[in-house]
Amino acid sequence: MKWTTEQMDMYLKAKEYVDTAIIPLIPVDLLNDPKGKVSMGEFTTVIVDEIERQFRGRVFQIPAFTYVVGEKEEEKLQRLKDWDKHLFSNGFKHILYITSDSEWRKVENELPDMLIWIPSLSLESMEDKYAKEIIDQQMKQLLPLVTNKWQDEPKERL
Amino acid sequence: MSEKEHKVSRRQFLSYCLMGVGGFMAAAAVTPMARFALDPALEAGGESDYVSVASVDDLTEEPKRFDFKVTVEDAWYESEQSRTAWIYREGNEIIALSPVCTHLGCTVNWDANEDHPNQFYCPCHHGRFEKSGKNIANTPPTRPLDVYDMEVRDGTVYLGRTIQR
Repeated sequence: MKWTTEQMDMYLKAKEYVDTAIIPLIPVDLLNDPKGKVSMGEFTTVIVDEIERQFRGRVFQIPAFTYVVGEKEEEKLQRLKDWDKHLFSNGFKHILYITSDSEWRKVENELPDMLIWIPSLSLESMEDKYAKEIIDQQMKQLLPLVTNKWQDEPKERL
Repeated sequence: MSEKEHKVSRRQFLSYCLMGVGGFMAAAAVTPMARFALDPALEAGGESDYVSVASVDDLTEEPKRFDFKVTVEDAWYESEQSRTAWIYREGNEIIALSPVCTHLGCTVNWDANEDHPNQFYCPCHHGRFEKSGKNIANTPPTRPLDVYDMEVRDGTVYLGRTIQR
């Protein structure tokens, strides 16, 4: 489900079935390689949209968690933890953070739930058909990650 | 006032004027309404609603997945969206099913769960459907998968909108 009024109605009606939230983590940077950062955000968005399409009935796509690249590591981490806490205490038992920004891998162990990092590919100059194939390939690897997570118990929060 | 002179009285003149202007005003009000009401009826069934999806030769008895794109007009915003269909043939008949689970809208896959072969399976809440699209009792979905409105022309399968069953 998406963060829209229309789908919010659906969510409120079917709350007990929707136990997973996905948060895209998207960096903002105009100084170092701004285009690369945009491309990361774009790729993450495409992937998240596709996961949402597959698992619409169980997954809620939360608006992106954005941050300026200069933001202090601990503060950024704390902010994300706050998001996580809010979602977890409001019924989302599984929370996925999806990003192309490799910085997050350094703090992966400190995150309360599952980080999915996908190296970004520039889809900009690619032919539609080819881009779709690439996304399909990525999906083949990502979808089992999500369904496997559902087999596990939700992660405990401190 | 004699008949021969064909004079128009002030009263007549005014009533002609009123009729003329009133007629125009009525027409101006009614025409868009009539057009608005009739236009969809005139347009429906237009060929542009159907999208070429697959070649009949590619179809088997086993449902196969076909992806295609449709143009969706959402108020002022026009966008291209991808759609998927599970298509198979049964004798001379071709059936195209929508992959959208009728429970909460996840995407179902054919023969994707080892415990339930030859069924459509929804990974979200374990909804299941028979090959015909019929929902299996005691799983969350309460109605069969939608079917696509379909046309076959020159060996090509064209799909239109989905129909609820």
